[in-house]
Amino acid sequence: MAGTGRAALHDDAVLRVVDLVVEYPLDRKNVVHAVSGVTFDIQKGTTLGIVGESGCGKTTVGRAIMQLERPTSGSVELDGADVTQMTRRELRAARRSMQMIFQDPVSSLNPSRRVKDLVREGLEVWGLSEADMPPGRIDDLMASVGLGGPAVGERRPHEFSGGQCQRIRIARALVTDPEVLILDEPASALDVSVQAQILNLLEDLKEEFGLTMLFISHDLAVVRNVSDRVMVMYLGKVCEIAPNSSLFDQPTHPYTRALLASIPGHQLDLPPAAELISGEIPSPIDPPSGCRFRTRCPHATERCAAEEPTLVETSPGHFTACHYPHH
Amino acid sequence: MLLVARRLVRLTIVLLAVTFFTFFLLDRSPGDPAAALAGENATEEVIEQKRAELGLDRPLVERYVDWLGGAVQLDFGDSIVTAGLSSWDLIRESLPKTLELMILAELMAIAISVPLAMASATRPGGLVDRMASSTAFGLLALPSFVLGIYLAFVFGVHLGWFPTIVNRLPGLNDDPLENLRQMFLPSLTLALNLVAVYHRLLRSDLIETLQEDFVVLAQVRGLSDRRIMWRHVLRPSSLNFTTAVGLNVAGLIGGALIIEVLFSINGMGRLVIESVVLEDFNVVAAVVALLTVGYVTMNFVVDLLYSVLDPRIRHGAR
Amino acid sequence: MAPVDATAVLNDVGERAAVSPSADIASTGASQSTPPPRALGVTFWLAAGWIAVLLFVAVFADLLPVRDPDALGIRTREVEKFERPGWNAPFGGDGVGHDQFARVIAGTRPALIIGISVTLIGGLIGMAVGLASGYLRGKLDAVSALLIDMALAFPGLVLVIAVRAAFGNSIYVFVALFSVASVPAYARIVRGATLSLSERAFVDVAQAMGASKLRILWRELAPNIAVPALAFAFIGFALVIVAEGGLAFVGLSLDQITWGQLIADGTGEINEHPHVSLIPATVMFLTILSFNLVGDGIRSHFAPREVATRRRFRTEGPPSPSSGGSTLRVDQLRTTLHTQSGDVRVVDDVSFELDAGDCLAIVGESGSGKTMMLRSIVGAFALADVTRSGTVEVEGTDMLRIAPDELRSVLGSHIGMVPQNPLTALNPVRRIETQIIEPMRAHRSISKSQARAEALELMQHVGIPDPERRLRDYPHQLSGGMRQRITIAIALANQPKLLLADEPTTALDVTVQDQILRLLLGLQRDLEMAMILVTHDLAVVRGFADRVAIAYGGQLVESGTIERIFNDPKHRYTAALLSSVPDLELEPHSRLVTIEGQPPPLIDPSPGCRFAPRCPAATDLCHTTEPERTDDEDRWFRCHFPVTGDAEIETAGSRSTRPADAIRAETQGVN
Repeated sequence: MAGTGRAALHDDAVLRVVDLVVEYPLDRKNVVHAVSGVTFDIQKGTTLGIVGESGCGKTTVGRAIMQLERPTSGSVELDGADVTQMTRRELRAARRSMQMIFQDPVSSLNPSRRVKDLVREGLEVWGLSEADMPPGRIDDLMASVGLGGPAVGERRPHEFSGGQCQRIRIARALVTDPEVLILDEPASALDVSVQAQILNLLEDLKEEFGLTMLFISHDLAVVRNVSDRVMVMYLGKVCEIAPNSSLFDQPTHPYTRALLASIPGHQLDLPPAAELISGEIPSPIDPPSGCRFRTRCPHATERCAAEEPTLVETSPGHFTACHYPHH
Repeated sequence: MLLVARRLVRLTIVLLAVTFFTFFLLDRSPGDPAAALAGENATEEVIEQKRAELGLDRPLVERYVDWLGGAVQLDFGDSIVTAGLSSWDLIRESLPKTLELMILAELMAIAISVPLAMASATRPGGLVDRMASSTAFGLLALPSFVLGIYLAFVFGVHLGWFPTIVNRLPGLNDDPLENLRQMFLPSLTLALNLVAVYHRLLRSDLIETLQEDFVVLAQVRGLSDRRIMWRHVLRPSSLNFTTAVGLNVAGLIGGALIIEVLFSINGMGRLVIESVVLEDFNVVAAVVALLTVGYVTMNFVVDLLYSVLDPRIRHGAR
Repeated sequence: MAPVDATAVLNDVGERAAVSPSADIASTGASQSTPPPRALGVTFWLAAGWIAVLLFVAVFADLLPVRDPDALGIRTREVEKFERPGWNAPFGGDGVGHDQFARVIAGTRPALIIGISVTLIGGLIGMAVGLASGYLRGKLDAVSALLIDMALAFPGLVLVIAVRAAFGNSIYVFVALFSVASVPAYARIVRGATLSLSERAFVDVAQAMGASKLRILWRELAPNIAVPALAFAFIGFALVIVAEGGLAFVGLSLDQITWGQLIADGTGEINEHPHVSLIPATVMFLTILSFNLVGDGIRSHFAPREVATRRRFRTEGPPSPSSGGSTLRVDQLRTTLHTQSGDVRVVDDVSFELDAGDCLAIVGESGSGKTMMLRSIVGAFALADVTRSGTVEVEGTDMLRIAPDELRSVLGSHIGMVPQNPLTALNPVRRIETQIIEPMRAHRSISKSQARAEALELMQHVGIPDPERRLRDYPHQLSGGMRQRITIAIALANQPKLLLADEPTTALDVTVQDQILRLLLGLQRDLEMAMILVTHDLAVVRGFADRVAIAYGGQLVESGTIERIFNDPKHRYTAALLSSVPDLELEPHSRLVTIEGQPPPLIDPSPGCRFAPRCPAATDLCHTTEPERTDDEDRWFRCHFPVTGDAEIETAGSRSTRPADAIRAETQGVN
């Protein structure tokens, strides 16, 4: 399971992450290997979905792109400029074109402030005021996310439901007119009917504002719905990265197959999950050598322990990091 | 083990800093023990000689290191005021009374507050809880000296059950009943302040634990309420309570000093106040060192207790 | 010199500061709104009034028509030595005939001057230090934590003595002294509150938006700290008054008349002339109480917390006649939670029956009452004031009307419950062994070693490797999946006839979810238990259950076999819900069907169909009349205008189902 392959990169990417490594020192001896050499990119106007179970490092990738966690090594290029090398001032400027939406909509909003101020803040951070924007910009934005109406801005976050809070968050992120939107489980805390509203809204906004999106989720069905390309992660590494349909129709990595087979009531042509995966996820403090999935993989051989697989193209645009990919 | 070692280092730093700062403050204060000892009409020369005798002419740090060397062997120097007695002699005489007061108060407080908090938490908003909680709120607003006066008035003056002044306190071994009778009001005064704090803290933690899934599930498993309270709820709820018991030692010392004055107990409080007034700095420094050691030790004990109470801390999972 | 109460009050305020105003009533899921700001009660206004009087007296002390506080009564003959309180001297006289009333009034000014200045100076410095070290952390935080530690360990008395000796005992020296001494306390609570706030997402969000650290401190954190800090300022004010009194008591206070001094002076006379000390003591007590009350009132007004209601379970109305036979019979069950915001009808007229070997899934969104339906069966309400009516029968026993002892016995021996979050469902401080054995020993007379042997067997049965070793572990030493296997083992400890699973896999990863659901279903079949599986996940229902019931607004709106419901939903809500879920079979970027509006309130629900306000097909009838239950072969629904054909809801019909039987066949041999 390696991220060491750069084969999957495009020339015309808006966001490019190369060999990203994030490690946290635990104490003097131990290090948590949260993300271990992840490489991918996103083309303009498309959505990349990242899926994986807890502990796979998908959230850390998002935070590291935003520089909320400083990467241990690797680069994050936004329109060709490496944000990991930027000065604080440059970084602040770069953040204007990258925005992130977090999972919990309620705790993402400062409870003591009015909605209008929260949305406007996105501007103020840049030393702009409403006057620098086309007139009615904030009202338009509020309407775009489905929160029209005069009195809405005067209220405080706790007066809104979870779905509405997420809409406020989205409006707030869009006010600086960002290029890239990183969404970390944006609908996971919401009920299905509300989740559908948010997912539809995101699709509309992507169209309207020409957004490039990184969509992080544990929910395969949601990722299936919103993504153009999908990347599967396991224990800090990339397993497979492929166009949406290709990944779901012909998964080649054993872990991807296990993940898909675990979806309750799926209609895919896969053996029972119990035959595809066993045991428990190893500790990120001391990850397995070679392929990180080998300890749970039914096909693992000695080669998997000795040699780390790199991403190879198995079909057009479909890359897998496995010595024995499924065909 | 590493954690314990780091704690110890930190506590030692606190200990050294506090004692040195005390030393420094005492040195800066305008009173001059040498002059006091030499008598009112002493010449400058005599005072100077006294000062040399006492070692006061040496630099501060040197004296501190010297003092520290003695202190670890419980040699805090002689009392400057009370001839022929060392500081340690004076402390040895008064320490047991203060300790008794503090321990009695702590025991009474725990004995009252734990069952009371459990009763409150079983039916929050019920009669017992409302009475206990408002009493606790009232007690929180009663400084120990005000509470002491009230108690002395009610139990001492009005009812006449207990003496309002501790007078020729017999040893706990010689006449335990009389000893406890005299110590009752001072201990109760100190204890009630603690009860207010403990009740409030333990009650809210118990209520929080009672709403935990594992408690609800224990109920669904058909276990009795009593068993649930004692076996499932009390221990996980007692972390903050333990902290309060441990950390309140500092407050307890302060409270004990005032109580001693109020009830005329010849304890450490009286000793330190008299020593300050008489500028007997060796004694003051010794008392401060002991108090700090006591506080710091309690801190350490609380840390150890944590890991006994909660296996997650023992295993470094939290 | 720190008064005894300081630490706990600090802890308390710090802990409360961490609880945001938006924390919801998590346990019931009944209400989505926060409790309204708690009204400031009579005691608050009385306390505020007392403070106002004190302020007035302190400002205008010189203009008030009272005697000179220093006038000696024994000379002027106006007040007698130890005069009892009366018209001449309301607070009586002391040993030299001072007018105590005048002296108490004279003591007001120093009390307030010291209190206000110390609170302002110490509070502001402490807040700044606390905010900075709590948010910026790093070295600054380490240093300030060490300093706070030392300050708390340092005997305040020594500080007072030394400073007093060096700088005299003017009021300025006292203000400076107390200000310095109170900084650690303020710094500590503000630091604690800041730490917990900075872990909340909005701080990350602000940082991600590019806000500078200073801006985050000032705009994001400070406003949220303001209320708890203000509340604590009142309490801190009271602490200053206490501290001054304590100093006066040991003879180290100001040179002027203070309340502490008056109390101290009078204690010697407590036996003969108690009024001399009792009256100033009471004035001080009332003042401290007032400041505490105001502080407490401010806190609970701005950051109201749902106060735990009393625990009270009641049953209303008669049971319906028993039909006997089934493992579980629920008939017209209604559950009402009595909360401060009103009566919440969490379960409203729910009926169903289960036989041995049946598996019913109850599915719904949050606030639909699905979990409460399950909890109402066993009466698992934690701290709540609950009324239930209707019938719940387990193996023919009326669960709502039997004596507590019998209820415990039925619960322990017939029912097993699998919780949502295995981490919180296991007691963190008890070993696995103790937790598995406990229900066995509570309800059966078996020896400890026998129970242990059974526990080992159970653990093997639920697929735990190396059970001998695991028995000695604590819950935190296991993975999430293992923990859930343990809770299943505990649920099975007494061979129950009914298994209640409340979102058993919501907290787990998808590959683990698959394992746990297969395990549960395998066990249910092998042991012929009746099972209820509560979930929000339609995919889980479709993959694993035989029958499903849809919960909405505290009611069950439709129920039937999986095939019928998923292929041909009749209730409008069911149909909409099914098509709002993204599904692997849908093409990428398909538009999902949404349900506009919000879930219905459970407090004072509208009279008609609960779904009417959100239903595109609703008519006047729907808004006024609750639909009756319509039976239709192997299912029933409650809808006036059921869905008639597939055309109406496009996506709903396009889905095929996977019969649960197929899964069942697959699960054989897995366990």
